[in-house]
Amino acid sequence: MGEVIVVTSGKGGVGKTTTTANIGTGLSLKGKSVVLVDADIGLRNLDVVMGLENRIVYDLVDVVEGSCRLRQALIKDKRFANLYLLPAAQTKDKNAVNPEQMQKLTSDLAEEFDYVMVDCPAGIEQGFKNAIAGASRAVVVTTPEVSAVRDADRIIGLLEASGLRNPQLVINRIKIDMVKRGDMMNIDDMIDILAIDLLGVVPDDDMIVVSTNRGEPAIANEASLAGQAYRNIVRRIMGEDVPFMNLESDEGFLTRLVKMFGFTKRR
Amino acid sequence: MTGKGYIMNDNAVVFKGTKEGLYIILKEELDVSVIKNHLDKKIRPSKRFFEGAKIVNFKGKRLSREEFDELKGIIEQDYGMTFTGSYNELSFASKHDREEHSDTGILEQLPYEHVQKGEALVVRATVRSGQLIDYKGNIVIIGDVNPGAHIKAAGSIIVMGSMRGIAHAGVNGDYSAFIVAFKIQPMQLRIGDIITRAPDSISPKISNPEIALVKQGMIVVEPYLPNK
Repeated sequence: MGEVIVVTSGKGGVGKTTTTANIGTGLSLKGKSVVLVDADIGLRNLDVVMGLENRIVYDLVDVVEGSCRLRQALIKDKRFANLYLLPAAQTKDKNAVNPEQMQKLTSDLAEEFDYVMVDCPAGIEQGFKNAIAGASRAVVVTTPEVSAVRDADRIIGLLEASGLRNPQLVINRIKIDMVKRGDMMNIDDMIDILAIDLLGVVPDDDMIVVSTNRGEPAIANEASLAGQAYRNIVRRIMGEDVPFMNLESDEGFLTRLVKMFGFTKRR
Repeated sequence: MTGKGYIMNDNAVVFKGTKEGLYIILKEELDVSVIKNHLDKKIRPSKRFFEGAKIVNFKGKRLSREEFDELKGIIEQDYGMTFTGSYNELSFASKHDREEHSDTGILEQLPYEHVQKGEALVVRATVRSGQLIDYKGNIVIIGDVNPGAHIKAAGSIIVMGSMRGIAHAGVNGDYSAFIVAFKIQPMQLRIGDIITRAPDSISPKISNPEIALVKQGMIVVEPYLPNK
């Protein structure tokens, strides 16, 4: 029986889909069987980020309505073994499924896969309720902005209210030089407010934009700083105790890059 | 039985210090003649102590204008205190006061000025954005109150953590209610119908415990242990 992990945030555009794609890919690179579920019905993009949009025949709503078998709707990733995607429907909306159906769907998937990663839509309405229905674990993504942290706080409250205790936090798109200047919220301030366990901190990285547009998750890119952060997150999800990357150091990007390669060599 | 009766009558007249000054709380059930008696018993032995004291008003018992004038006269002429209130400002016992009054037997044994008794809701959690805690008594939060969270209490609010949301104490108009937190950095504080909000500029980080209370019709936030 696998684990169902929902990736959520409340606010839109903080990197839920990117995080889902990268964690999912990372887990499959670690030899786990993974299925990514896009719960953002009507506004799907997980397929685009994964570069699999051309292969969609059936979607989540088809499965729920019984128009196809679950296996038929799963898209096997073109690069990574053991990685599958269950895409969202684009022509329907969030009300096309209900939480009970999602619960059944995710538990069916959890029978076959080690990890079921659910990409939650923004907001706290029906789509959110659907996405968290079958989850046993939650990852909350936020960026170092007051509005995103506020929404994350609301989401954590709602998750706790529906029995998803101890969600874990991913702080996305942090710019260390801005934090140092005091122009951006720092990590301690955010953890102080949200009071949940930190799963990882992903630095702002231009590479993410490139990889998203190409449909190749950044985690597979050894040179990407964000990719390194996601690799650490994946290991923490699997229960490893990984120290946090030293983003606060005064060393330049080059030194950090060298260190990073040193780190990957040792692995 | 006699013991109980003694305690009850002992509370016929109670002096209560507030921010505005002293109030004389009269037991509601007793006759004015009995009250006069108790007043005398209470003040006579320590007349010099009471002399010159400033009395704001009576509280607790419903008085007629004649009774009010009579008692006021006694206080000013016989005991040499100054009485600043008028009959129109007289406030009669609310439920809150009455409960407090019947407890003064216990509370009076405590040698402190600000002692209150009431029910409290104790919450051990982080109160997050979008969550509302509304209670008809005092509220104690063991944890933080985050921005966007709303705490409403008929009594006072005590936060054993950071107060960053909206706190509304004394929702039914009790200006003696207060808000205490280890760190007060709220969006808004309300006591009774008085509202104050955080300054728009980024305020300096104060890490001392503070109390918010009503002073001269305004909410004032200050350290409650000023000597620390």
